[in-house]
Amino acid sequence: MAVINVTNGTQAILTLGYDLATSVPGNAGGLVVPFVQDITVNATPGTVRYSTLDSTSSSAFTTVNENSISLNLLVDETVMFGDSSGNVNTVIDKGLFGTSTSKDEIFFSVSVTGTGNSGDIYIAGKGFIGGLAPTASIDGAVWLSPCEIIVNGELTKTVE
Amino acid sequence: MSVRSDLITQITTNLSGHSDINISQELPFDSGGNPLYEKNPNVVYVDEQDIVVEQLYRTLDQGNVNQTTTTVNAYLSTDAKNQFTDINTVVSNLLIARNVVTNVTDSNSDYETDIEDDTITYTFAYTFTTTI
Repeated sequence: MAVINVTNGTQAILTLGYDLATSVPGNAGGLVVPFVQDITVNATPGTVRYSTLDSTSSSAFTTVNENSISLNLLVDETVMFGDSSGNVNTVIDKGLFGTSTSKDEIFFSVSVTGTGNSGDIYIAGKGFIGGLAPTASIDGAVWLSPCEIIVNGELTKTVE
Repeated sequence: MSVRSDLITQITTNLSGHSDINISQELPFDSGGNPLYEKNPNVVYVDEQDIVVEQLYRTLDQGNVNQTTTTVNAYLSTDAKNQFTDINTVVSNLLIARNVVTNVTDSNSDYETDIEDDTITYTFAYTFTTTI
């Protein structure tokens, strides 16, 4: 057992694609989102709580999973607004902002332990980009934005 | 142009109407154990700039954003008992010289005084912050 160390900058990587293949870490055609400050994979089963007369504690049952990916990033102009190159990967073409406003479904992967080595783990899925709220202040002097991927369906773990 | 040379140019402009004060291009190095500004009263000396680079934002891919703080000190000594009648104007002109440095997120100037024997020394500190 060992903690997963993300110090060297090659572990926690978010890759976006227009299909499953381009979203796989390390594959050609994917958009690797740069300048990510933090990233969180939210894998949360929905639950309903209920009480019964014969118990002093509430009970619960699960409903569907509600998954999302949330992150904060420094805004890169090309990644946020696209390169308008007509790239088949529409996330590269439109950028995060354009993909969000056009409500395009995208595929994504979050590398947990890096890429390119046998045994590397990544979490993948598909969903919609939302939660963009670019903000700037003279104290920081760069644009910052939160971002969320509202996952459509289930998250999957893959081992390379 | 360095921050130091920009400041010297602006201070020269701001004090151009004051014939009793000169602005030196020299660094305020020691001469005979005494800084030049103590040896030569009524001359403004601007020291070399000090630069500190700190990490402002860290990112998971190590695309870090840094903040650079540049500090420059300037010195003016004069007769403590017979200061210029417009010394407050002189001080103000020295303080606002910081406005010549642009493209910074923060720009500050302040001063402190030190009296030794019959000489008062004004030490001005200019601080500029940029993000890179």
